[in-house]
Parts: sequence; C-alpha cells; structure tokens
Amino acid sequence: MNANRRLVVVVALFAIFAGLAAAACSGGDDDDDVPHIELGAPSAWQGVRVRPSLEKPDVTLTDTSGQPYNIRTETEGYVTLLYLGYTHCPDVCPTHMFDIATVLKGLDPAVADKVKVVFVTTDPDRDTPEAIRQWLDLFDTDFIGLTGPQDVLDGVEASLGMQNTTKTDLGGGNYAVNHAAYVMAYGTDDLSHLVYPAGITQDAYAHDIEKLVTKGWSEE
Amino acid sequence: MISTRSWRFRALAALLVVPVLIAAAACGGDDDDTNDTTTTPGAAAGFQVVDAWARATTNDVSAVYFTVKNPGTADRLVSITADVTENVQMHEVVTEGATSKMQEVAGGFEVPANGELVLSAGGYHIMLLDLKEPLKPGDDVHLELTFEHAGVIPLTAPVQAGEATGGMDDMPGMDHGSATAGH
Repeated sequence: MNANRRLVVVVALFAIFAGLAAAACSGGDDDDDVPHIELGAPSAWQGVRVRPSLEKPDVTLTDTSGQPYNIRTETEGYVTLLYLGYTHCPDVCPTHMFDIATVLKGLDPAVADKVKVVFVTTDPDRDTPEAIRQWLDLFDTDFIGLTGPQDVLDGVEASLGMQNTTKTDLGGGNYAVNHAAYVMAYGTDDLSHLVYPAGITQDAYAHDIEKLVTKGWSEE
Repeated sequence: MISTRSWRFRALAALLVVPVLIAAAACGGDDDDTNDTTTTPGAAAGFQVVDAWARATTNDVSAVYFTVKNPGTADRLVSITADVTENVQMHEVVTEGATSKMQEVAGGFEVPANGELVLSAGGYHIMLLDLKEPLKPGDDVHLELTFEHAGVIPLTAPVQAGEATGGMDDMPGMDHGSATAGH
C-alpha cells in the first residue's frame, strides 16, 4: 500500500467517523441505535468496527435475471459482502468490486464458495438489471446485482444508517451519484460488525473474509 | 501482507498527523517504482508519466489514472484530450461524512516541484464521459496531456478491469502504461 492509498484510508476512516458522529448527534436520545465507528481500538480485524452492528436488510429487490431476491433469506448461511453503488461510478465502486473479486479468486475455493457478494444499485434510472449484470461480469459472474424502486432503495439506505444518495450534475445529461463508499461484511449471524471504506487494501479484505468464513465473527 | 497491528498502528498514527502526511504527500511521497518509466517529451521539464491505465467499463463512463514525476519546477496539468471521447474532465473524490462524491477540479491538477502528481482510486482521476464505445480490457486509450509550462505530452493507457496493484505493492508482471516518446 503506497503512501497515497494509506492516506485515503485514513481520510475515509476519519470522514466516516465524523459523519456518523454527526448523525449520532442529530439522533438525540436514540444514540444507541445509530451506528458509529470505533477508531484505533485494538482489533483482530482489518475492517472498521461499526456499532451497533448492522442488520442484514430484510428487503426484497429484483435481481439481474428479473427475479425477486430477498437479501436476508437468499444469503442466509453465507458470509455476505453488501455494497450500494452504481455502474456509471468510475472510481470507488469498481475499485471495491475489483478488489473483492481479486481476493475471492485468490482464496481457497472452499472458502470463497461460502461468500456472497451483493451489489445494490443507487441509480435505478440507469442501472437496469441487464446493465448491472454486464457491469458485474467485468469482475465476477457470481456477484449478485439488485435494483428496485427508488423509495425502497432509500429505505434500505436508511436502515443501514446511510444518508440517502444525492446527485451531482456533470453536464450534458451526465450525473454522479453520491453515496456511502464502504462495503459491509455480514457474518453468518446476519449482522455486519465491520465495514470497509474506500482505499481499504486487498490484503485487509482477504484477511477478514477468510476469518469470517473459517472462524466466524467474534470480537477477537 | 501488512499485519493488523501494523496497519492499525499506522492508520492511527497517520490520523494523528494527517496534516503532516498531507504535507509529505505534497512533497512527492516515497514511491520508488522507477523500473517502468519512460522519459517523455516535455523534455525541458523532464517529466515522466508512468503507471497509466484506463478502467474497463460496460457503459459510457470511465476513468484514467497515471503518475507524473516531476524533477523540476512546479507545473499544472490544465487540460486533457482523449481519442475515445470528447468529454474529458478532471475529477477528485471527496468524502464528506460517510458519503463519497465526485467533483470537477477547477483549474486542473497541480504538479508539485520535485514531486509527483498521483492519480489513483479514491483521489484524483481523469473522468471520461460519453464514451463512443465501452472500454474493454486489452484496448488502449490515447491521450494528450497539456501542462501549463511543459506543453503537450502524449500518453497511452491500457484498459484494465482494475488497478492490479490495488493494495498489493510490487506485483510482478504488470503491464504498465507509459507515455510515448514524442517531439
């Protein structure tokens, strides 16, 4: 990891902490229900600890073959990496997808087979099921792609403690979608205790994915 | 592989001295990947443009990354053209709260004196919009980088699915893009 990339991680950690801390402030008495990030705490994991742990969304969306897909029931029993992004994203989203795909290819197949990767679009207007499938196939044909009505997607974001997405006009009908930039890792307990901000390394992914599969979640 | 303890320590330590790190990065960092450099025109400036690549896509949006090594005085990358689209923008990713957003960088990218301009995921990138065709692995993107002082430097960026060094330093056998020699 070069200095530049390390800096990105740190900035991302700091920003997530600041953002979630701000969210916690606005939550008033409900602070305990708002995720926040522990920074710098000793940990046997390389992802960033999130408290309280995030529940796996019990929501039914549409997969890339047009079929209904309930995130919680379809991924039950699997270590699940969940990411919300969009296919016209040139930088952060494909980097996560590429890094995860590369890591899974490098793991023991018996371990990798116990992992599901779920990509949920934040840009349902442009991301048709077909468009998502083509894009995910750049990385791994086993990655699961989901879309749904905007209000349902907004609900998923809210349930995960994320701000709803906004758009930045890039001119000529082009736009970027501003969204949470971290991947959530769920253990077989259907809880995400760890998130992976932009700039996280493949080594960090490899370490934690293998450990989640072979040992399961624990604080140590 | 970097150990957990080491990574955490570094992250924490870095967090405490972010301003220092930023200053250090601005001074050019400690990258030493000089094996794959190609001396470019901009001869007067002595620029080297290395590690160029373009991201494969299935739609009309993509990004290009590279590093400009500058042994001389400060300069600025002011504009870029590409053969795959007429809509080229210089962007940075900014994370506010837990949300990342992209924005255009007004005035272009600064190339620090005796330092490097590094474009990489999560930071600066060249944004390609309205691509005539999706970029496929194995394709090449041809660009022309215009610097305020060094002038025009042509660059070829091979299309890849991702930065093969993403998080793994010094992976052997990588096909790095490089600036082509010119006039």
